[in-house]
Amino acid sequence: MRPFKLLVAFAVLLCIRPLVYAQQSPVSIINSKLEGKVVDERTGDPLPGAVVIIKSTTHAVSTDASGNFRFATGQKFPYVLIVSYIGYKKQEVVVNGGPVTVRLAENVNELSEIVVNDTYSSQSKKSYTGSAAIVKGATLENKPLSSPQLALQGQVAGLGVAVTSGQPGANVQVRLRGLGSTALSSNPLYVIDGMIVNAGDLSRLTSGINNSSNALAGLNADDIESYTVLKDASATSIYGSRGSNGVIIITTKKGKVGKAQVNLDAETGNTSTIPLPAAGQPLNADQFSTLFIEGLRNAGTYTPDQIAALAESYGFNSGKTTNWQDIIHRTGRQQQYNVSVRGGNENIKVFLSLGYFDQQATIIGSALKRVNGLLNVDQRISKNISVAAGLNVSNVNQLSPVGTTGSWANPVFAASILRPFQRAYNDDGSINSSSSSNTGFVAHYNPLWIAAYDKHTLSQTRALGNLNVNWHIWDQLRFSSYASIDYNVLEEIQFENPILGNSQSSNGSASNAYNRYFNWLLRNQLDYRFNFSKAQDFYLNLTAGYEAQKYSRYELRASGTGFPLTQPDLNALANAATPTLASGSSSGSTFNSVYFRGSSNYKNRYSLSATFRRDASSVFGLDNQYGNFWSIGGAWNIDGERFFENQPILSTAKFHTSFGTTGNAQGIGDYAAQPLASYGSNYGGGNGQNYNGVGNPDLQWEQQKKFDLGVDAGLFEDRLIFNVDYYHNNIYKLIQQVSISMTTGFANIPYANSGSMLNKGVELSVRGIPVKTKSFNWNASFNIAFNNNHVTDVGGNTSVINGNYYFQKGYDYYTYYTRLYAGVNPDNGEALWYTDGTRTKTINDYNKAARVPYKSATPKYFGGFSNTFYYKGIALNVDFYYNFGNYIVDGWSTRFYDGNYYTFNKYQRTYNNRWTTPGQVTDVPKYIAGGGSGGQNQSQAYSSRFLYKGDFIKLKNFTLGYDLKKLPYLQHSTAISKLYVYVRGTNLWTKTYDKKLPYDPESGTVTIPQFKTYTVGLNVGF
Amino acid sequence: MKKIYWSLLLPAIVLTACKKDFLRQQSATAVNASTAINTVNDLADAVNGMYTASKNSSLFGVNVPVLGDLLADNIFISSSNYGQLTSDNNYTFIATSGEANGIWLQGYNTILQANRIIAAPIASTPTVDQLKGEAYAIRALTYLTLVNYFAKPNTISPDADGVPIITIPTYETGPYIKPARNSVKEVYDRVITDLDSAFLILPNTPIAANIHATNSNYISKYAAKAIEARAFLYRGDYANAQAAALLVVTQGGYTLTTTASAFKSFWTSATATDGKVETIFELNNNTTGAVSGLADFFSQAGNGEMLCTKELYDLYTPTDLRKGLIVNGIRKGNGQPAFLVNKYPNASNPDKDEIKIIRYAEVLLTLAESYARTGDETSARNYLNQLATVRDPSFTGYVSSGQQLLDDIVNERRKELAFEGLRLFDLYRLNQVIYRPAQPYSYPGYPEVSLTDIRRLQPIPQNEVDVNPNIKQNPGY
Repeated sequence: MRPFKLLVAFAVLLCIRPLVYAQQSPVSIINSKLEGKVVDERTGDPLPGAVVIIKSTTHAVSTDASGNFRFATGQKFPYVLIVSYIGYKKQEVVVNGGPVTVRLAENVNELSEIVVNDTYSSQSKKSYTGSAAIVKGATLENKPLSSPQLALQGQVAGLGVAVTSGQPGANVQVRLRGLGSTALSSNPLYVIDGMIVNAGDLSRLTSGINNSSNALAGLNADDIESYTVLKDASATSIYGSRGSNGVIIITTKKGKVGKAQVNLDAETGNTSTIPLPAAGQPLNADQFSTLFIEGLRNAGTYTPDQIAALAESYGFNSGKTTNWQDIIHRTGRQQQYNVSVRGGNENIKVFLSLGYFDQQATIIGSALKRVNGLLNVDQRISKNISVAAGLNVSNVNQLSPVGTTGSWANPVFAASILRPFQRAYNDDGSINSSSSSNTGFVAHYNPLWIAAYDKHTLSQTRALGNLNVNWHIWDQLRFSSYASIDYNVLEEIQFENPILGNSQSSNGSASNAYNRYFNWLLRNQLDYRFNFSKAQDFYLNLTAGYEAQKYSRYELRASGTGFPLTQPDLNALANAATPTLASGSSSGSTFNSVYFRGSSNYKNRYSLSATFRRDASSVFGLDNQYGNFWSIGGAWNIDGERFFENQPILSTAKFHTSFGTTGNAQGIGDYAAQPLASYGSNYGGGNGQNYNGVGNPDLQWEQQKKFDLGVDAGLFEDRLIFNVDYYHNNIYKLIQQVSISMTTGFANIPYANSGSMLNKGVELSVRGIPVKTKSFNWNASFNIAFNNNHVTDVGGNTSVINGNYYFQKGYDYYTYYTRLYAGVNPDNGEALWYTDGTRTKTINDYNKAARVPYKSATPKYFGGFSNTFYYKGIALNVDFYYNFGNYIVDGWSTRFYDGNYYTFNKYQRTYNNRWTTPGQVTDVPKYIAGGGSGGQNQSQAYSSRFLYKGDFIKLKNFTLGYDLKKLPYLQHSTAISKLYVYVRGTNLWTKTYDKKLPYDPESGTVTIPQFKTYTVGLNVGF
Repeated sequence: MKKIYWSLLLPAIVLTACKKDFLRQQSATAVNASTAINTVNDLADAVNGMYTASKNSSLFGVNVPVLGDLLADNIFISSSNYGQLTSDNNYTFIATSGEANGIWLQGYNTILQANRIIAAPIASTPTVDQLKGEAYAIRALTYLTLVNYFAKPNTISPDADGVPIITIPTYETGPYIKPARNSVKEVYDRVITDLDSAFLILPNTPIAANIHATNSNYISKYAAKAIEARAFLYRGDYANAQAAALLVVTQGGYTLTTTASAFKSFWTSATATDGKVETIFELNNNTTGAVSGLADFFSQAGNGEMLCTKELYDLYTPTDLRKGLIVNGIRKGNGQPAFLVNKYPNASNPDKDEIKIIRYAEVLLTLAESYARTGDETSARNYLNQLATVRDPSFTGYVSSGQQLLDDIVNERRKELAFEGLRLFDLYRLNQVIYRPAQPYSYPGYPEVSLTDIRRLQPIPQNEVDVNPNIKQNPGY
């Protein structure tokens, strides 16, 4: 019904059209000519690309490479020029004739200049009632990072970016203001140039963090104008049912009025291994054989002869050893090249770019290549109508190991468990593929062989296109229509060789998957601005819109086994002797929405806004498809008040607050609400239909009530800027898996509204210029976010055990639920655990110790600290990211500690600290091959012994650059507008706070680790 | 210019037109369960889905047949194993153990599949009757299995707690039902009623046209009757057991293999039988969708940790053909001597062994036992020896009477039906102590399951107790 009403509204507007059309365009007359130059107030450097507008007209030009501009206009002197340039204060200049020189001052005050564009409308930050952070794309360009989320790490208070894998192009976990959901996705919504895009890991053939993919890996950071992070209700409820986890809006670069600017960026270098912490280094050959023999002796069931025979068979006397860490690591390639053209005139503006990115991780078989192109065109069709179109096309080619986490085929896991006496190479130098002796690979695989002969690739091609039509029906009424498509094709190939590896027994296997994701969106919107005639600077903005979106996926899959044994290159699926799978399928979901927004502003001092959105989605039952989401917000700019002028410290100050609701449905199966009878349960060659989806017709949107109170303040003429936000987000109607009576035929309802959770916290950002002299500048920014998460209602759940975690009212969702380790009995080397949480009694039987809630995996606080130092054209960037208060668990403790898996290599700390003599006080028990007896056998099983402090500080980025335009003979060159060289290092330094920690706290164990990069780069502008 | 304005309106118009359907998205591989069965073809597909549900490894696919021998005295787990079912071998299972949970859940899932077939609003035709008859029989078989694992034997306490009887599909009851346990007697009543319904509507000659094959992979009229004979026997209703079994023997047309080679090839074959030889009903386990667990547990070509006890092996005479199904050999993992079960040899074959549910031999033994228990020992010996003399060509037949005859019949059941999961229920219904002497290269074990042992009943799964306040846990858990 609603769209019909909108349609009627449009029809009514059409009747008004002739009035508008009757206005005539003015005839072009030249009354004055003006020349001028725009320069930096402090340095006197010309500012190319500054925009100069004659006030009260639409006539604008931009400055050329030397900062010069010229006008030929119908206006008569005197008139007012408005001159603006990114990062500088806007200035108005009265001109009576030329030439003029306009000196712009650098600006650190974002409040007055920055515009928040949340796709549905643009508002100045000053009048904005929500909480949003804007990161300029320019600060994140040219970095050796494979996806845009990585660049955002540490940039925005409250935006947690967890780099869980060093695999180039891997999925990145992003959390805004804490965990937003339990069973559904907690990742924010991504919007690129108005399009709500597919994000996350779209690959189907893979699982696990080693080889996940990232749908946004095709984006080139150099193409991005800005990132806007929407946080609170006022900012996100316009996204209604998808706003709960926050929204990240990515806006690509558009054309600009002025002479075409060509930019060339090149960067090249290499990637380099970050060494494992001392605690986690594997044992060398001597250490391993010592420990192995000691373990056998301690087991007590081996005779000296048997031990000697085992030592011989495991190659301890062979004199031939392998350093597996060296085998799987390498120095990788890192390069990227980008070229862009940007220009335009009043009628047409164009941005065009091409980019190439190539990164090899430091682990063999892990790499990524990307090519991408972007074209954005803005075309003015008539006085009232303009069209904007964009096309972003990319291909990502990702190479990752076949095996994930605890698989032998995972090179990182393999290198940690393989014995130094297992041989990577045969005597003749060929790769060892023997699975018949203990110096070969009886149970394990040679990671070199796997890297050489197995194959796992993902080719992800994306086309993101949009078209936007803007029609100013009259000055105050605008109609816009927007259409976009997001087309993603993923081709995945996995091959496992027939000689050594996962598919040895089936003589090799291959799987191919083709997935096409198609997602379209249509949006029609009316904006009306009402100026209160009796009061100056008092207006009301009204917005009404209609949006529809459809997601669909089509999949083809095929697998086969049996490959030619001695033709390793013939790994195409067509060579399989036995086809094992052929499948094709499709699925889809739809959204339908109407939305309204009203905002009012009085003299830039008081703002009020209200939004309402009604969403419907096909994933819910027919009776529950609709959800209403709303918000109200207000802002007060105190600096507009008279009393504000009477104090000398604050230069700007603003309060803002909001309250409202948002929803979440990301991650629900497309048909989760329906009771389903699925085909595929075939029997005796006949089709089988099985009632295997319990469905839940009552399923509704998961909802959040968000409250936010924020203060933005500028001190000392805005040299120091604070942003503080307090938020309180109550998540209710939490969608969780709920157990039901199994007499229904089902153990649980996968998606049911049950329980609630709370996130509350404080965010602080500080930006400032601590030092500012004529030749030296220090710009610094710092942010920190504290979040407190806890479950407020467990709902229908009856079990407190949630895997490793404790699920109970009042506790953080990621509270560990674990046995408390009490160290080692000095008398006999047995592991001890506390019987319960009181820590009063210990016991030597793991199974008799109680699990208790203990510590949490959620960071207490995290953030970033960035510094830029300028000195006469030299710029030094130093960016830190830090994370404190969380504990991380070693999920593979059973393999790397103690003697249960005594044929595996161990962590150095196990070796150094193991109990050997009575009276020795340590926390590593006696090393017994095969493990101790009874409850001692579980000494390496999950307990507080394997919880480590996850605290770290990382030097994420270090860049030293020089602006060659400062050189005297280039200073006045008009041919070259920019010439900049730099050297950059990433991940150069990490500080951790737990000496027992055996791996990088950010990526965790047995995953592709992060690495350092060293690059040199060149930026040239013409 | 006008054209442009109009074109702007186009998207709005298009969207208005398609709105109704726009929010109704249908799966490409599934249909709405509540309206899934509308034609005979749908019904046949649902019947296939029901058989697939029943052969899940938690139910008849692996655990039901394996536990029926492992918890009894026919098999044990080698010390060289993969950690599966060791808590059952050692009698340490608890309310949160996976096996009880799996039988319970998959049992009710199979019942759910049957319930919706029986409830399908399709007018009766011979074909529809056949398909619904199969569903009645599978529902009865599943309830019979559940009540035997989770409740006291009807022969001892028919009024004890049985299992909840659910006959209405979940899409009608909603997912939040919390049923209490019906009595054992009520469950047996339901089983008999269902089997009577099945026998009544199943056609004499299975209808093949376009629905499915007519071999032993599908419930037939006399398969339903054979299951009913088992149900009556377990219930202790020997007159009815005798009548049902006799009907199968006289009307069913089933035969035993008559030669050593035929017997051997019957047990090596991985395919269903068309000729009514030996098997009355077995679950299909062919290449697509094969459940490998059964062969995997027993065959040394698979994991092979389930070994035959010495006591069972010693029961067979050297000339007994069935002794050929046990190999006095070497356990693969630890290299130690062991009695290896060779009844399911197709571990490495993509087409796995069919899962035997009920065989003609069992019907003969049921008939013999019910004759013996109703006073006709001549007939009892007759049917007992029909089997015993075929299995052991050198054997001239039993001549015993009284308790000895009954013991001989039960013993013959043990030898004939070993590794098919039925031994435990004989011990339960006859209320006998289970003796499980320690076996070499195994766990210390659990040598005696007394008549008062709480683990004679499987625990009601903790997950069920947690969400269903109306269900009563078995005592001791």
